[in-house]
Amino acid sequence: MFLQKGKSFGFILIFILILLGLIIIPFFVDLFYQTFLTELFVWILFAISFDLIFGYTGLLSFGQALFFGLGGYTVTILIRKFGLNTELSLLFSIIIPILFAWFVGYFSVKLTGIHFVIITIIFAIIGNIIGDTWTSFTGGADGLTFSPPPYRLGLFQIDLMDIKGNYYFVLTIVAISFLFLRRMIQSPLGKVFISIRENEERARLIGYNVQRYKLIAFIIAGGLSGLAGGLYSLTLKYASAGYLHWSVSGHAVVYTIVGGMGTLIGPALGAGIVMSLEHYLINFLQTTDLVVGIVLVAMVLMAPKGLVGFIQSRFKKGETSA
Amino acid sequence: MKPVPEKNEIILELKEVNKSFGGLLAVNRVNLSVNKGELRALIGPNGAGKTTLLNLVNGTLPVSGGHIFFKGKEITNLSPHRISHIGIARTLQITSLFSGLTVYENIWTAVQSRKKFFNPFIRALKWQDVKEKTESMLDLTGFKDKAHLICSELSYGDQRILEMGIALSTEPDLLLLDEPTAGLNSQESMALVKKMRSMLSGQTIILVEHDMGVVMELADNISVLHYGAIIAEGAPDVIKENEEVKKVYLGSEHA
Ligand SMILES: Nc1ncnc2c1ncn2[C@@H]1O[C@H](COP(=O)(O)OP(=O)(O)OP(=O)(O)O)[C@@H](O)[C@H]1O
Ligand SMILES: [Mg+2]
Repeated sequence: MFLQKGKSFGFILIFILILLGLIIIPFFVDLFYQTFLTELFVWILFAISFDLIFGYTGLLSFGQALFFGLGGYTVTILIRKFGLNTELSLLFSIIIPILFAWFVGYFSVKLTGIHFVIITIIFAIIGNIIGDTWTSFTGGADGLTFSPPPYRLGLFQIDLMDIKGNYYFVLTIVAISFLFLRRMIQSPLGKVFISIRENEERARLIGYNVQRYKLIAFIIAGGLSGLAGGLYSLTLKYASAGYLHWSVSGHAVVYTIVGGMGTLIGPALGAGIVMSLEHYLINFLQTTDLVVGIVLVAMVLMAPKGLVGFIQSRFKKGETSA
Repeated sequence: MKPVPEKNEIILELKEVNKSFGGLLAVNRVNLSVNKGELRALIGPNGAGKTTLLNLVNGTLPVSGGHIFFKGKEITNLSPHRISHIGIARTLQITSLFSGLTVYENIWTAVQSRKKFFNPFIRALKWQDVKEKTESMLDLTGFKDKAHLICSELSYGDQRILEMGIALSTEPDLLLLDEPTAGLNSQESMALVKKMRSMLSGQTIILVEHDMGVVMELADNISVLHYGAIIAEGAPDVIKENEEVKKVYLGSEHA
């Protein structure tokens, strides 16, 4: 599982097949579902960035909403108020959250367990309060709208006002981010993160500067959460203080637990399942949170390793009994 | 009482080291020197301060006073990860492994800790030298056939050996072992001693151990700790006959 070559071929094959499927889907579904899928891609990116910090490094961060909101606002404000172009704005939606993650992480990674969870919630709450009250800059709860200008990227004319264009743009960036994270997990750095999750004390005893590597994981996850926020804004052409609410981090927690933490593919699946469920239920239920909550509790009780863990254990059982 | 170090090279030296927890003096003005290549046993009744002393040496706890020198340099109060890189490795009294990972991954993680830069863009398995070293460590520790077991599936005795293997994989100049036989029955203990003999030959070791059989079998010298202070020091035969040591262990089943 750690260093096997054979599996990566299978992965590449499946990845390409899924990507091909997602590339042709817009020709078969209407604009509503194209938008739905685009948003799903964004939440997948958010969920896998959370999986890096929680699933792989073992830090339950509720601060990801802060970076998501910052990314969203960075794009919105840079385009709306400063007339910056789309691609640079999106780049800043990684950089600005990275700087904030550096700051927040600097204080947070010194704490462990529940103390870490609480300090990240506090930072997110502060962000939300600032977003809510500094209305001249953020638009508060009403938010800010904008129109991303079209631009050329080599051969491609990218127009995010076009729903299909927006779909492919987000898909591309999320797919690249997924591959980036997957590679990082398999890299020597990823092994350090995993060792911290498994046993912080042992990691320290064999010479890893645990706090430093926690901070690095936190910064990378913050940057990617920011990118997700930036893409979300670009998709909705809008950002509001609600993005900064710490409960936004809760989405990532739910997707990750339902799908299976520490697997990357799990949180992606979890996002797909939960969002589809919500989309389906909204037709005849006032609030879908209750059902999502029940699904979550059921998963925790019956399949604590999430859907991916459940499938893997089934698969293993089949292997040994065969 | 103190054995004069022969022409041997001192690798670790503690000078007047103290540690207090509130009012409790857990380590009391300890002076200790360990020679290169020596296996020094550190014994003493429960609560004598043995684990605390190891915690001071590897930086897990800050000292309350005194100085610690390793390979001629002062290492007092450096953080554990730095001390690991300076060359001191450690096993704990309560087994401490990467319990959800395989044996292979446990050793790998320890071996790669000697690298300076952890490139996030390459696959770990591209590190041929780390891979080779991991495999040679698996050979040495006898885990070749169990390499792909999750380490929590190993027997308790095997887990104790694996923890030593992890410590050894960081290529230490000094190994601190905190009661490797704790929780093992006498048969398992003897198997572990045999394993240690082959695995750890030539290593400089401080061995905290309650089992006097194991101590007599392995130690070059013994230091006896009682209420945080060293009350006797010397070769195993000498310590065995020491009146004060006998008194400390009187009524205890270990003596
Ligand atoms: N972190 C701590 N805080 C407060 N007191 C401590 C701490 N660690 C150890 N002590 C106390 O210091 C004394 C020495 O403990 P230590 O664990 O070093 O003993 P030990 O010789 O290793 O004993 P054992 O043989 O039972 O492992 C004990 O009285 C213990 O209660
Ligand atoms: Mg102890």
